[in-house]
Amino acid sequence: MRTPMSVLRLPRGPDPNSRGFDPNSPRFIALCSTTISSSTDTETDSVQIGEEQCARSMLRESFLRTLIAMTNKQVQFYMYERVKVNAVFGASDIDVLNFQVSDLQTPIGVQKEALLRCQDVILYSFDL
Amino acid sequence: MAMRQTPLTCSGHTRPVVDLAFSGITPYGYFLISACKDGKPMLRQGDTGDWIGTFLGHKGAVWGATLNKEATKAATAAADFTAKVWDAVSGDEVLTLAHKHIVKSVNFTQDSSCLLTGGNDKTIRIYDINKPEAEPQEITGHTSAIKKALWCNNDTQILSAADDKTVRLWDRTSTAVVKQLSFDMSVSSMEYIPDGEVLVITYGKTIAFYNALSLDLIKTVDAPASIHSASLHPDKDFFVAGGDDFKLYKYDYSTKEELESYKGHFGPVHCVRFSPDGELYASGSEDGTLRLWQTEVGKTYGLWKCVLPDFLSQLSCVLAGSPPVCHIAIG
Repeated sequence: MRTPMSVLRLPRGPDPNSRGFDPNSPRFIALCSTTISSSTDTETDSVQIGEEQCARSMLRESFLRTLIAMTNKQVQFYMYERVKVNAVFGASDIDVLNFQVSDLQTPIGVQKEALLRCQDVILYSFDL
Repeated sequence: MAMRQTPLTCSGHTRPVVDLAFSGITPYGYFLISACKDGKPMLRQGDTGDWIGTFLGHKGAVWGATLNKEATKAATAAADFTAKVWDAVSGDEVLTLAHKHIVKSVNFTQDSSCLLTGGNDKTIRIYDINKPEAEPQEITGHTSAIKKALWCNNDTQILSAADDKTVRLWDRTSTAVVKQLSFDMSVSSMEYIPDGEVLVITYGKTIAFYNALSLDLIKTVDAPASIHSASLHPDKDFFVAGGDDFKLYKYDYSTKEELESYKGHFGPVHCVRFSPDGELYASGSEDGTLRLWQTEVGKTYGLWKCVLPDFLSQLSCVLAGSPPVCHIAIG
């Protein structure tokens, strides 16, 4: 009777909640330097990456500055299902998942304080 | 002390696993992709079988899957009449290549610049991945559905196996047939080993080895049951095969002697491949699982750990100069 070969553990199975490809894995971090391009280049052009990073930083900074500029101003939010609401913008959370607003004008009344789910917002506009 | 093989079962697929492929050895190890009739091909770490991700997008059974050498790109062939190219790091779909019928086989060139496809429309196609909108180069000639199409001879030639019971060698530039092999029955699988230019073909109960350049027969070996797939070890000392009787067979390549047979799968074995380092081989089955098998049973590798009974382990530790540790033998 031969002794069966022992095993440290079983292979890990799929995560039921995600499709995987962990963005925190060393391989992902090393190889997925650009997330926008679906470029088929396996070589990384450091000049291109540099330019892309500059553009990204610029866009990010502009976006953050608009959030600051919006504070305490009346903002119109255009959302799905043809929803258009006005509110006074308070703040955004760190991941831009929710906007904290005051005096949200809804068809059923004015909500003193509310959170708007960012993924429901298509566009928002305000006067500078 | 002889140990008994403990296969590692990779679950996750919900339908039969029909194809599998390894990448080359990368700085992050090597990887394994599995094609499944559930339409969701999966990427796994090659030496442990750990799931990394699932490529989502196909709308039909996936019949063929492959990885490029660096495991940065994946390609899949499906019953939804498309072949898809994926980013194997992010899992994102990069390209969809529409075909006129079920696509069965996909294969990258060494530099990953071109993709070879073959399927039920009997035509071999070569796509330039950097110019996907361009019309693919087409190679016609097969009179039945193509099962497998592979680059060979430094990507200058193409080997294809089809249901018309032929295996054909084509020149890429002229698209003409260079040589052809005819069989009495359909070829069930084909594997190309660039190092040494060996072609492994299975049909019926036979595993046949050919010179990939001349298509001269090297040798044939008959198995106890109908074989669906076989793979030759990188060092060309063993080959493994699996098929209808659910078992995996291991043979000595030089003597053709059957060395071992392993039970484990609950359905016919559809595909089997050695890892690039030859330390293990993976099998895919009708039972929806992939199993990893050690080439040298008893060796510590991947998730397998050699655990000796108490006395022998203390002895080996003393001989190696390290303090003895208490091991528990499982038996």
